Amino acid sequence: MTLLSVRNVTKRFGGLVAVDTVSFDVHERTIKALIGPNGAGKSTLFNALTGFDRPDEGSVEFDGAEIVGKRPRDVVRAGLARTFQNTQLFDELSALDNVMVGAQAHQRSGFAAAALRLPSALAEERESAEEASRLMRLVGVDEWARTPAADLPAGIRRLVEIARALATSPRMLLLDEPAAGLNATETRELVETLYRVRDRGITVLVVEHDMGLVMEVSDEIVVLDRGRKIAEGPPRMIQKDPAVIAAYLGEEAVDE
Amino acid sequence: MRGRLIRTLAPWVIAAMIAIVPLVLADRFLLKVFTFVGLNALVVVGLALLFGYAGQVSLGHSAFIGIGAYTCAYLTARLGLPWIAGFAAAGALAAVGGLLLALPSLRLKGHYLAMATLGFGELMTLAFVEAEPLTGGVNGLGGIPFPTLGALEVKEPWALYWLVWGVVGVAVLIAANMVRLRPGRAMRSLHGSELGAQACGVDVVGVKVRTFVLSAALAGLSGALYASVVGFISPSVFTLAASVTLLAMAVTGGTGSLAGPIAAAALLTLVQYLDALVPGLPRETAQTLQQYQADIYGIAIVLVVLFAPKGIAGLWQRKAGEAS
Repeated sequence: MTLLSVRNVTKRFGGLVAVDTVSFDVHERTIKALIGPNGAGKSTLFNALTGFDRPDEGSVEFDGAEIVGKRPRDVVRAGLARTFQNTQLFDELSALDNVMVGAQAHQRSGFAAAALRLPSALAEERESAEEASRLMRLVGVDEWARTPAADLPAGIRRLVEIARALATSPRMLLLDEPAAGLNATETRELVETLYRVRDRGITVLVVEHDMGLVMEVSDEIVVLDRGRKIAEGPPRMIQKDPAVIAAYLGEEAVDE
Repeated sequence: MRGRLIRTLAPWVIAAMIAIVPLVLADRFLLKVFTFVGLNALVVVGLALLFGYAGQVSLGHSAFIGIGAYTCAYLTARLGLPWIAGFAAAGALAAVGGLLLALPSLRLKGHYLAMATLGFGELMTLAFVEAEPLTGGVNGLGGIPFPTLGALEVKEPWALYWLVWGVVGVAVLIAANMVRLRPGRAMRSLHGSELGAQACGVDVVGVKVRTFVLSAALAGLSGALYASVVGFISPSVFTLAASVTLLAMAVTGGTGSLAGPIAAAALLTLVQYLDALVPGLPRETAQTLQQYQADIYGIAIVLVVLFAPKGIAGLWQRKAGEAS
Protein backbone atom coordinates (compact mmCIF):
# COMPACT_ATOMS: atom_id res chain seq x y z
CA MET A 1 0.00 0.00 0.00
CA THR A 2 1.22 3.50 -0.83
CA LEU A 3 1.81 5.57 2.32
CA LEU A 4 3.44 8.64 0.77
CA SER A 5 2.58 9.82 -2.69
CA VAL A 6 4.58 12.68 -4.21
CA ARG A 7 3.00 14.17 -7.37
CA ASN A 8 4.65 16.70 -9.68
CA VAL A 9 6.28 18.63 -6.86
CA THR A 10 8.12 21.73 -8.05
CA LYS A 11 10.06 24.24 -5.96
CA ARG A 12 11.73 27.31 -7.43
CA PHE A 13 14.14 29.73 -5.81
CA GLY A 14 14.11 32.80 -8.05
CA GLY A 15 15.16 31.55 -11.50
CA LEU A 16 16.52 28.24 -10.18
CA VAL A 17 14.24 25.23 -10.30
CA ALA A 18 15.51 23.29 -7.27
CA VAL A 19 12.91 20.53 -7.58
CA ASP A 20 11.33 19.99 -11.00
CA THR A 21 8.01 18.08 -11.27
CA VAL A 22 9.14 15.16 -9.17
CA SER A 23 6.77 12.23 -8.57
CA PHE A 24 7.25 8.97 -6.69
CA ASP A 25 5.53 6.71 -4.18
CA VAL A 26 6.76 5.18 -0.93
CA HIS A 27 5.10 1.93 0.04
CA GLU A 28 4.23 1.11 3.60
CA ARG A 29 6.85 -0.78 5.65
CA THR A 30 9.62 -0.31 3.11
CA ILE A 31 12.87 1.62 3.15
CA LYS A 32 13.27 3.95 0.22
CA ALA A 33 16.40 5.94 -0.50
CA LEU A 34 16.57 9.34 -2.16
CA ILE A 35 19.97 9.86 -3.74
CA GLY A 36 21.67 12.22 -6.13
CA PRO A 37 24.75 14.40 -6.54
CA ASN A 38 25.17 17.52 -4.40
CA GLY A 39 22.64 20.18 -5.29
CA ALA A 40 20.22 17.65 -6.77
CA GLY A 41 17.38 19.06 -4.64
CA LYS A 42 17.12 16.32 -2.03
CA SER A 43 17.00 18.53 1.06
CA THR A 44 14.68 21.01 -0.69
CA LEU A 45 12.32 18.13 -1.44
CA PHE A 46 12.54 16.98 2.20
CA ASN A 47 11.56 20.44 3.41
CA ALA A 48 8.65 20.49 0.97
CA LEU A 49 7.44 17.10 2.21
CA THR A 50 7.52 18.06 5.90
CA GLY A 51 5.89 21.51 5.88
CA PHE A 52 9.14 23.43 6.43
CA ASP A 53 8.87 24.81 2.90
CA ARG A 54 5.89 25.07 0.61
CA PRO A 55 6.27 23.64 -2.89
CA ASP A 56 5.23 25.97 -5.72
CA GLU A 57 3.35 23.21 -7.49
CA GLY A 58 2.32 19.64 -6.98
CA SER A 59 0.75 17.63 -4.20
CA VAL A 60 1.96 15.36 -1.43
CA GLU A 61 -0.46 12.83 -0.02
CA PHE A 62 0.35 11.08 3.24
CA ASP A 63 -1.94 8.21 4.13
CA GLY A 64 -4.48 9.55 1.65
CA ALA A 65 -4.54 13.13 3.00
CA GLU A 66 -2.98 16.20 1.37
CA ILE A 67 -0.18 17.62 3.50
CA VAL A 68 1.02 20.51 1.30
CA GLY A 69 0.19 23.71 3.19
CA LYS A 70 0.27 22.09 6.61
CA ARG A 71 2.63 23.43 9.26
CA PRO A 72 5.58 21.22 10.31
CA ARG A 73 3.86 20.63 13.63
CA ASP A 74 0.73 19.25 11.96
CA VAL A 75 2.78 17.12 9.56
CA VAL A 76 4.52 15.51 12.56
CA ARG A 77 1.23 14.98 14.31
CA ALA A 78 -0.12 13.32 11.17
CA GLY A 79 2.67 10.76 11.58
CA LEU A 80 5.50 11.98 9.33
CA ALA A 81 8.64 12.70 11.39
CA ARG A 82 12.03 13.90 10.18
CA THR A 83 15.67 14.47 11.10
CA PHE A 84 17.98 17.16 9.72
CA GLN A 85 21.17 17.15 7.69
CA ASN A 86 22.59 19.53 10.32
CA THR A 87 21.32 17.87 13.47
CA GLN A 88 18.88 20.12 15.31
CA LEU A 89 19.25 18.92 18.89
CA PHE A 90 18.58 21.10 21.92
CA ASP A 91 22.13 21.58 23.20
CA GLU A 92 21.28 22.59 26.76
CA LEU A 93 19.09 19.54 27.33
CA SER A 94 20.29 16.04 28.10
CA ALA A 95 20.01 13.40 25.38
CA LEU A 96 17.08 11.85 27.22
CA ASP A 97 15.29 15.21 27.52
CA ASN A 98 15.84 15.75 23.80
CA VAL A 99 14.08 12.49 23.04
CA MET A 100 11.33 13.39 25.52
CA VAL A 101 10.62 16.60 23.59
CA GLY A 102 9.67 14.35 20.68
CA ALA A 103 6.77 13.06 22.75
CA GLN A 104 5.30 16.61 22.76
CA ALA A 105 3.75 15.83 19.39
CA HIS A 106 1.07 13.65 21.00
CA GLN A 107 1.01 14.97 24.58
CA ARG A 108 -1.95 16.98 25.83
CA SER A 109 -1.19 18.41 29.27
CA GLY A 110 -0.52 22.14 29.09
CA PHE A 111 0.85 24.99 31.20
CA ALA A 112 -1.87 24.87 33.84
CA ALA A 113 -1.73 21.10 34.32
CA ALA A 114 2.04 21.30 34.80
CA ALA A 115 1.84 24.32 37.13
CA LEU A 116 -0.55 22.43 39.42
CA ARG A 117 1.26 19.09 38.99
CA LEU A 118 -2.02 17.44 37.99
CA PRO A 119 -1.92 13.63 37.91
CA SER A 120 -2.46 13.70 34.15
CA ALA A 121 0.67 15.80 33.63
CA LEU A 122 2.76 13.59 35.92
CA ALA A 123 1.50 10.43 34.21
CA GLU A 124 2.41 11.83 30.79
CA GLU A 125 5.83 12.75 32.11
CA ARG A 126 6.43 9.21 33.38
CA GLU A 127 5.19 7.61 30.18
CA SER A 128 7.30 9.82 27.94
CA ALA A 129 10.39 9.20 30.10
CA GLU A 130 9.92 5.44 29.85
CA GLU A 131 9.22 5.57 26.13
CA ALA A 132 12.27 7.80 25.58
CA SER A 133 14.50 5.34 27.45
CA ARG A 134 13.10 2.47 25.38
CA LEU A 135 13.76 4.33 22.13
CA MET A 136 17.30 5.22 23.18
CA ARG A 137 17.95 1.51 23.76
CA LEU A 138 16.39 0.70 20.39
CA VAL A 139 18.77 3.13 18.67
CA GLY A 140 21.67 2.00 20.88
CA VAL A 141 22.47 5.30 22.62
CA ASP A 142 21.02 4.63 26.09
CA GLU A 143 24.41 5.04 27.78
CA TRP A 144 24.40 8.73 26.73
CA ALA A 145 21.00 9.49 28.30
CA ARG A 146 22.26 11.98 30.89
CA THR A 147 24.86 13.71 28.71
CA PRO A 148 23.99 17.25 27.58
CA ALA A 149 23.41 17.20 23.82
CA ALA A 150 26.16 19.80 23.36
CA ASP A 151 28.73 17.25 24.60
CA LEU A 152 27.63 14.35 22.36
CA PRO A 153 29.93 13.09 19.56
CA ALA A 154 28.61 13.85 16.06
CA GLY A 155 27.62 10.25 15.35
CA ILE A 156 25.68 9.90 18.60
CA ARG A 157 23.89 13.18 17.88
CA ARG A 158 22.46 11.70 14.66
CA LEU A 159 21.24 8.60 16.47
CA VAL A 160 19.72 10.63 19.31
CA GLU A 161 17.89 12.73 16.71
CA ILE A 162 16.48 9.53 15.20
CA ALA A 163 15.31 8.42 18.66
CA ARG A 164 13.70 11.84 19.11
CA ALA A 165 11.89 11.54 15.77
CA LEU A 166 10.67 8.08 16.82
CA ALA A 167 9.31 9.54 20.06
CA THR A 168 6.74 11.45 18.01
CA SER A 169 5.16 8.02 17.27
CA PRO A 170 5.50 8.35 13.51
CA ARG A 171 4.20 6.05 10.79
CA MET A 172 6.97 7.27 8.54
CA LEU A 173 10.47 8.58 9.16
CA LEU A 174 12.37 10.94 6.84
CA LEU A 175 16.11 10.81 7.54
CA ASP A 176 18.38 13.47 6.02
CA GLU A 177 21.90 12.00 5.67
CA PRO A 178 21.84 9.94 8.87
CA ALA A 179 25.26 8.36 8.20
CA ALA A 180 27.15 11.63 7.69
CA GLY A 181 29.86 11.89 10.34
CA LEU A 182 29.35 8.37 11.60
CA ASN A 183 32.31 5.98 12.04
CA ALA A 184 32.16 2.36 10.84
CA THR A 185 30.76 1.01 14.13
CA GLU A 186 28.13 3.72 14.35
CA THR A 187 27.16 3.13 10.71
CA ARG A 188 26.61 -0.56 11.53
CA GLU A 189 24.47 0.53 14.47
CA LEU A 190 22.50 2.81 12.14
CA VAL A 191 21.86 -0.02 9.65
CA GLU A 192 20.60 -2.26 12.47
CA THR A 193 18.45 0.60 13.74
CA LEU A 194 16.91 1.14 10.31
CA TYR A 195 15.92 -2.55 10.15
CA ARG A 196 14.52 -2.45 13.68
CA VAL A 197 12.53 0.68 12.83
CA ARG A 198 11.11 -0.92 9.71
CA ASP A 199 10.27 -4.11 11.63
CA ARG A 200 8.21 -1.95 14.00
CA GLY A 201 6.05 -1.10 11.01
CA ILE A 202 7.55 2.33 10.33
CA THR A 203 8.19 3.33 6.73
CA VAL A 204 11.52 5.06 6.00
CA LEU A 205 12.61 7.56 3.37
CA VAL A 206 16.33 8.27 3.63
CA VAL A 207 18.60 10.77 1.90
CA GLU A 208 22.11 9.37 2.00
CA HIS A 209 25.51 9.70 0.32
CA ASP A 210 26.96 6.45 1.71
CA MET A 211 26.26 4.23 -1.34
CA GLY A 212 27.19 1.04 0.49
CA LEU A 213 24.54 1.75 3.09
CA VAL A 214 21.95 2.81 0.48
CA MET A 215 22.44 -0.34 -1.62
CA GLU A 216 22.29 -2.53 1.48
CA VAL A 217 19.20 -1.24 3.27
CA SER A 218 16.88 0.16 0.66
CA ASP A 219 14.08 -1.69 -1.04
CA GLU A 220 13.82 1.01 -3.69
CA ILE A 221 15.81 4.04 -4.75
CA VAL A 222 14.83 7.35 -6.34
CA VAL A 223 17.60 9.30 -8.05
CA LEU A 224 17.46 13.07 -8.46
CA ASP A 225 19.80 15.13 -10.59
CA ARG A 226 19.52 18.90 -10.90
CA GLY A 227 16.00 18.83 -9.51
CA ARG A 228 14.65 16.12 -11.83
CA LYS A 229 13.96 12.47 -11.17
CA ILE A 230 16.27 10.53 -13.49
CA ALA A 231 15.68 6.98 -12.22
CA GLU A 232 13.63 4.92 -9.81
CA GLY A 233 13.78 1.23 -8.95
CA PRO A 234 15.42 -1.51 -6.86
CA PRO A 235 19.14 -1.08 -5.99
CA ARG A 236 20.46 -3.51 -8.61
CA MET A 237 18.66 -1.73 -11.41
CA ILE A 238 19.85 1.68 -10.23
CA GLN A 239 23.48 0.52 -10.13
CA LYS A 240 23.33 -0.29 -13.83
CA ASP A 241 21.27 2.67 -14.93
CA PRO A 242 23.26 4.66 -17.52
CA ALA A 243 21.65 7.99 -16.59
CA VAL A 244 22.58 7.48 -12.93
CA ILE A 245 26.14 6.51 -13.75
CA ALA A 246 26.48 9.54 -15.97
CA ALA A 247 25.14 11.87 -13.28
CA TYR A 248 27.56 10.57 -10.66
CA LEU A 249 30.55 10.34 -13.03
CA GLY A 250 29.80 13.88 -14.10
CA GLU A 251 30.00 15.02 -10.51
CA GLU A 252 33.31 13.24 -9.91
CA ALA A 253 34.75 14.76 -13.06
CA VAL A 254 33.83 18.19 -11.72
CA ASP A 255 35.32 17.36 -8.32
CA GLU A 256 38.65 16.38 -9.83
CA MET B 1 22.60 10.70 47.14
CA ARG B 2 23.72 13.53 49.39
CA GLY B 3 23.70 15.96 46.51
CA ARG B 4 20.12 15.03 45.78
CA LEU B 5 19.09 15.59 49.39
CA ILE B 6 20.74 19.01 49.38
CA ARG B 7 19.05 19.90 46.11
CA THR B 8 15.62 18.91 47.47
CA LEU B 9 16.10 20.69 50.79
CA ALA B 10 17.89 23.84 49.60
CA PRO B 11 14.80 25.66 48.24
CA TRP B 12 12.86 25.03 51.46
CA VAL B 13 15.75 26.15 53.65
CA ILE B 14 16.09 29.32 51.59
CA ALA B 15 12.32 29.87 51.75
CA ALA B 16 12.41 29.49 55.54
CA MET B 17 15.31 31.94 55.77
CA ILE B 18 13.42 34.48 53.68
CA ALA B 19 10.31 33.94 55.81
CA ILE B 20 11.99 34.63 59.16
CA VAL B 21 13.65 37.89 58.08
CA PRO B 22 10.94 40.09 59.71
CA LEU B 23 11.38 38.19 62.99
CA VAL B 24 15.08 39.00 63.26
CA LEU B 25 15.20 42.35 61.48
CA ALA B 26 13.65 45.26 63.36
CA ASP B 27 14.67 48.06 60.96
CA ARG B 28 11.55 49.21 59.10
CA PHE B 29 13.50 50.73 56.22
CA LEU B 30 15.52 47.59 55.62
CA LEU B 31 12.35 45.51 55.67
CA LYS B 32 11.00 47.79 52.94
CA VAL B 33 14.18 47.29 50.94
CA PHE B 34 13.80 43.52 51.20
CA THR B 35 10.15 43.90 50.20
CA PHE B 36 11.34 45.69 47.04
CA VAL B 37 13.67 42.76 46.41
CA GLY B 38 10.57 40.55 46.46
CA LEU B 39 8.71 42.85 44.03
CA ASN B 40 11.59 42.63 41.56
CA ALA B 41 11.98 38.89 42.14
CA LEU B 42 8.32 38.42 41.17
CA VAL B 43 8.91 40.09 37.79
CA VAL B 44 12.19 38.27 37.30
CA VAL B 45 10.57 34.84 37.80
CA GLY B 46 8.51 35.61 34.70
CA LEU B 47 11.51 36.98 32.82
CA ALA B 48 13.52 33.89 33.77
CA LEU B 49 10.88 31.77 32.05
CA LEU B 50 10.74 34.09 29.06
CA PHE B 51 14.46 34.71 28.58
CA GLY B 52 16.22 31.88 30.42
CA TYR B 53 13.94 29.07 29.26
CA ALA B 54 12.16 30.24 26.08
CA GLY B 55 15.01 32.47 24.84
CA GLN B 56 12.86 35.56 24.17
CA VAL B 57 13.95 39.09 25.00
CA SER B 58 11.59 41.72 26.42
CA LEU B 59 12.66 45.33 26.79
CA GLY B 60 9.26 46.50 27.97
CA HIS B 61 8.29 44.66 31.10
CA SER B 62 8.06 47.81 33.19
CA ALA B 63 5.03 48.67 31.02
CA PHE B 64 3.25 45.59 32.38
CA ILE B 65 4.27 46.53 35.92
CA GLY B 66 2.77 49.94 35.20
CA ILE B 67 -0.46 48.50 33.82
CA GLY B 68 -0.79 46.39 36.96
CA ALA B 69 0.05 49.28 39.28
CA TYR B 70 -2.40 51.75 37.68
CA THR B 71 -5.15 49.13 37.43
CA CYS B 72 -4.91 48.21 41.10
CA ALA B 73 -4.51 51.85 42.16
CA TYR B 74 -7.50 53.07 40.14
CA LEU B 75 -9.80 50.24 41.20
CA THR B 76 -8.98 50.48 44.91
CA ALA B 77 -8.27 54.21 45.41
CA ARG B 78 -10.78 55.71 42.97
CA LEU B 79 -13.53 53.09 42.74
CA GLY B 80 -13.14 51.68 46.24
CA LEU B 81 -13.17 48.06 45.12
CA PRO B 82 -11.75 45.39 47.46
CA TRP B 83 -7.98 45.08 47.18
CA ILE B 84 -8.06 41.48 46.05
CA ALA B 85 -10.24 42.50 43.07
CA GLY B 86 -7.74 45.21 42.12
CA PHE B 87 -4.87 42.75 42.51
CA ALA B 88 -6.54 40.10 40.32
CA ALA B 89 -7.59 42.69 37.71
CA ALA B 90 -3.99 43.99 37.59
CA GLY B 91 -2.67 40.52 36.68
CA ALA B 92 -5.48 39.93 34.19
CA LEU B 93 -5.12 43.28 32.41
CA ALA B 94 -1.35 42.94 32.17
CA ALA B 95 -1.88 39.45 30.73
CA VAL B 96 -4.30 40.84 28.11
CA GLY B 97 -1.74 43.52 27.24
CA GLY B 98 0.90 40.82 26.91
CA LEU B 99 -1.34 38.77 24.65
CA LEU B 100 -2.14 41.72 22.35
CA LEU B 101 1.57 42.48 22.03
CA ALA B 102 2.81 38.89 21.73
CA LEU B 103 0.36 37.53 19.17
CA PRO B 104 1.44 39.69 16.23
CA SER B 105 5.13 40.03 17.14
CA LEU B 106 5.82 36.39 18.00
CA ARG B 107 4.46 35.19 14.67
CA LEU B 108 7.46 36.89 13.11
CA LYS B 109 10.94 35.44 13.36
CA GLY B 110 14.00 37.05 14.92
CA HIS B 111 14.15 40.01 17.22
CA TYR B 112 10.75 41.50 16.46
CA LEU B 113 9.59 40.76 19.99
CA ALA B 114 12.45 42.78 21.52
CA MET B 115 11.65 45.67 19.16
CA ALA B 116 7.91 45.45 19.78
CA THR B 117 8.34 45.38 23.56
CA LEU B 118 10.72 48.35 23.38
CA GLY B 119 8.13 50.35 21.43
CA PHE B 120 5.30 49.16 23.63
CA GLY B 121 7.18 50.23 26.77
CA GLU B 122 7.79 53.73 25.44
CA LEU B 123 4.18 53.98 24.30
CA MET B 124 2.85 52.96 27.70
CA THR B 125 5.08 55.46 29.51
CA LEU B 126 3.51 58.15 27.30
CA ALA B 127 0.05 56.74 27.93
CA PHE B 128 0.59 56.86 31.71
CA VAL B 129 1.45 60.56 31.37
CA GLU B 130 -1.32 61.46 28.92
CA ALA B 131 -4.25 59.51 30.37
CA GLU B 132 -4.54 62.04 33.16
CA PRO B 133 -8.13 61.33 34.27
CA LEU B 134 -7.16 57.73 34.95
CA THR B 135 -3.52 57.99 35.96
CA GLY B 136 -3.10 61.48 37.37
CA GLY B 137 -0.57 62.26 34.62
CA VAL B 138 2.95 63.35 35.55
CA ASN B 139 1.78 64.17 39.07
CA GLY B 140 1.03 60.53 39.64
CA LEU B 141 -1.65 58.82 41.64
CA GLY B 142 -1.59 58.93 45.45
CA GLY B 143 -3.66 57.76 48.37
CA ILE B 144 -3.57 54.16 47.26
CA PRO B 145 -4.85 52.05 50.17
CA PHE B 146 -2.83 49.26 51.75
CA PRO B 147 -3.70 45.71 50.72
CA THR B 148 -6.61 44.13 52.55
CA LEU B 149 -7.34 40.44 52.78
CA GLY B 150 -10.94 40.22 53.92
CA ALA B 151 -11.16 42.26 57.11
CA LEU B 152 -7.40 42.20 57.59
CA GLU B 153 -5.48 45.30 56.56
CA VAL B 154 -1.88 44.60 55.61
CA LYS B 155 0.06 47.73 56.50
CA GLU B 156 2.89 46.91 58.88
CA PRO B 157 6.24 46.55 57.09
CA TRP B 158 6.62 42.96 58.24
CA ALA B 159 3.10 42.09 57.03
CA LEU B 160 3.73 43.70 53.63
CA TYR B 161 7.00 41.80 53.43
CA TRP B 162 5.24 38.51 54.07
CA LEU B 163 2.47 39.31 51.59
CA VAL B 164 4.92 40.14 48.80
CA TRP B 165 7.19 37.18 49.46
CA GLY B 166 4.15 34.91 49.82
CA VAL B 167 3.11 35.86 46.28
CA VAL B 168 6.71 35.34 45.12
CA GLY B 169 6.67 31.89 46.74
CA VAL B 170 3.51 30.86 44.89
CA ALA B 171 4.92 32.18 41.60
CA VAL B 172 8.19 30.29 42.11
CA LEU B 173 6.31 27.10 42.93
CA ILE B 174 4.18 27.37 39.78
CA ALA B 175 7.19 28.22 37.63
CA ALA B 176 9.28 25.40 39.13
CA ASN B 177 6.52 22.89 38.46
CA MET B 178 6.23 24.08 34.89
CA VAL B 179 9.91 23.97 34.02
CA ARG B 180 10.22 20.41 35.30
CA LEU B 181 7.44 19.14 33.06
CA ARG B 182 6.34 19.39 29.45
CA PRO B 183 6.05 23.21 29.17
CA GLY B 184 9.59 23.73 30.48
CA ARG B 185 11.00 21.24 28.03
CA ALA B 186 9.06 22.94 25.23
CA MET B 187 10.43 26.36 26.23
CA ARG B 188 14.00 25.11 26.36
CA SER B 189 13.61 23.35 23.02
CA LEU B 190 12.77 26.72 21.40
CA HIS B 191 15.91 28.17 22.89
CA GLY B 192 17.95 25.24 21.50
CA SER B 193 16.61 24.95 17.96
CA GLU B 194 13.32 26.19 16.59
CA LEU B 195 13.59 23.85 13.61
CA GLY B 196 14.10 20.92 15.95
CA ALA B 197 11.19 22.05 18.11
CA GLN B 198 8.90 22.26 15.08
CA ALA B 199 9.99 18.80 13.99
CA CYS B 200 8.97 17.52 17.44
CA GLY B 201 5.48 18.96 17.08
CA VAL B 202 6.10 21.76 19.58
CA ASP B 203 3.62 24.61 19.09
CA VAL B 204 6.40 27.17 18.72
CA VAL B 205 4.27 30.32 18.56
CA GLY B 206 1.83 29.01 21.18
CA VAL B 207 4.55 28.27 23.73
CA LYS B 208 6.18 31.67 23.19
CA VAL B 209 2.87 33.52 23.50
CA ARG B 210 1.85 31.63 26.65
CA THR B 211 5.21 32.22 28.30
CA PHE B 212 5.07 35.90 27.41
CA VAL B 213 1.53 36.29 28.74
CA LEU B 214 2.50 34.56 31.99
CA SER B 215 5.52 36.81 32.45
CA ALA B 216 3.36 39.89 31.74
CA ALA B 217 0.80 38.74 34.32
CA LEU B 218 3.50 38.29 36.99
CA ALA B 219 4.82 41.78 36.19
CA GLY B 220 1.26 43.13 36.54
CA LEU B 221 0.85 41.49 39.95
CA SER B 222 4.18 42.93 41.04
CA GLY B 223 2.98 46.36 39.93
CA ALA B 224 -0.24 46.01 41.94
CA LEU B 225 1.76 45.06 45.04
CA TYR B 226 4.15 47.95 44.44
CA ALA B 227 1.31 50.46 44.22
CA SER B 228 -0.28 49.16 47.41
CA VAL B 229 2.98 48.96 49.35
CA VAL B 230 4.21 52.44 48.42
CA GLY B 231 0.82 54.16 48.22
CA PHE B 232 1.88 56.43 45.35
CA ILE B 233 2.80 55.80 41.71
CA SER B 234 3.94 58.01 38.84
CA PRO B 235 5.09 57.41 35.25
CA SER B 236 8.74 58.00 36.18
CA VAL B 237 8.88 54.53 37.77
CA PHE B 238 7.78 52.50 34.76
CA THR B 239 10.52 53.36 32.31
CA LEU B 240 12.83 51.74 29.81
CA ALA B 241 15.62 51.94 32.40
CA ALA B 242 13.54 49.82 34.78
CA SER B 243 12.86 47.29 32.00
CA VAL B 244 16.57 47.06 31.24
CA THR B 245 17.41 46.60 34.92
CA LEU B 246 14.94 43.71 35.16
CA LEU B 247 16.31 42.13 32.00
CA ALA B 248 19.82 42.53 33.44
CA MET B 249 18.69 40.51 36.46
CA ALA B 250 17.37 37.72 34.23
CA VAL B 251 20.50 37.70 32.06
CA THR B 252 23.07 37.81 34.85
CA GLY B 253 21.06 35.21 36.74
CA GLY B 254 21.60 32.72 33.96
CA THR B 255 19.59 30.60 31.55
CA GLY B 256 17.66 27.47 32.45
CA SER B 257 17.41 28.44 36.11
CA LEU B 258 14.97 30.16 38.47
CA ALA B 259 17.25 30.41 41.50
CA GLY B 260 20.00 32.23 39.58
CA PRO B 261 17.81 35.10 38.32
CA ILE B 262 16.16 35.47 41.77
CA ALA B 263 19.61 35.73 43.35
CA ALA B 264 20.58 38.30 40.71
CA ALA B 265 17.37 40.23 41.43
CA ALA B 266 18.34 40.36 45.10
CA LEU B 267 21.92 41.44 44.39
CA LEU B 268 21.11 44.10 41.80
CA THR B 269 18.25 45.50 43.89
CA LEU B 270 20.37 45.70 47.03
CA VAL B 271 23.14 47.58 45.19
CA GLN B 272 20.73 50.52 45.00
CA TYR B 273 20.51 50.64 48.81
CA LEU B 274 24.15 49.95 49.56
CA ASP B 275 24.48 52.93 51.93
CA ALA B 276 21.71 51.56 54.15
CA LEU B 277 23.01 48.00 54.08
CA VAL B 278 26.70 48.61 54.73
CA PRO B 279 26.94 50.78 57.88
CA GLY B 280 30.54 51.96 57.46
CA LEU B 281 30.18 52.87 53.78
CA PRO B 282 30.98 56.55 53.14
CA ARG B 283 28.13 58.55 51.65
CA GLU B 284 30.17 59.61 48.64
CA THR B 285 30.99 56.01 47.72
CA ALA B 286 27.34 55.04 47.90
CA GLN B 287 26.33 58.08 45.84
CA THR B 288 28.95 57.35 43.21
CA LEU B 289 27.74 53.77 42.99
CA GLN B 290 24.15 54.91 42.58
CA GLN B 291 25.15 57.46 40.00
CA TYR B 292 26.77 54.79 37.88
CA GLN B 293 24.07 52.21 38.51
CA ALA B 294 23.03 51.92 34.86
CA ASP B 295 26.68 51.56 33.85
CA ILE B 296 27.22 48.87 36.48
CA TYR B 297 24.26 46.90 35.13
CA GLY B 298 25.53 47.34 31.59
CA ILE B 299 29.00 46.14 32.53
CA ALA B 300 27.50 43.23 34.47
CA ILE B 301 25.58 42.10 31.37
CA VAL B 302 28.68 42.40 29.17
CA LEU B 303 30.83 40.47 31.66
CA VAL B 304 28.25 37.73 31.99
CA VAL B 305 27.78 37.36 28.25
CA LEU B 306 31.57 37.26 27.70
CA PHE B 307 32.80 35.15 30.61
CA ALA B 308 29.87 33.32 32.18
CA PRO B 309 27.14 32.85 29.58
CA LYS B 310 25.21 30.72 32.02
CA GLY B 311 25.25 33.47 34.62
CA ILE B 312 25.11 33.07 38.38
CA ALA B 313 23.26 29.77 37.95
CA GLY B 314 26.14 28.49 35.78
CA LEU B 315 28.77 29.36 38.40
CA TRP B 316 26.73 27.56 41.03
CA GLN B 317 26.28 24.49 38.81
CA ARG B 318 30.01 24.44 38.05
CA LYS B 319 30.84 24.54 41.77
CA ALA B 320 28.34 21.74 42.42
CA GLY B 321 29.87 19.73 39.57
CA GLU B 322 33.38 20.09 41.00
CA ALA B 323 32.22 19.04 44.46
CA SER B 324 30.54 15.80 43.36
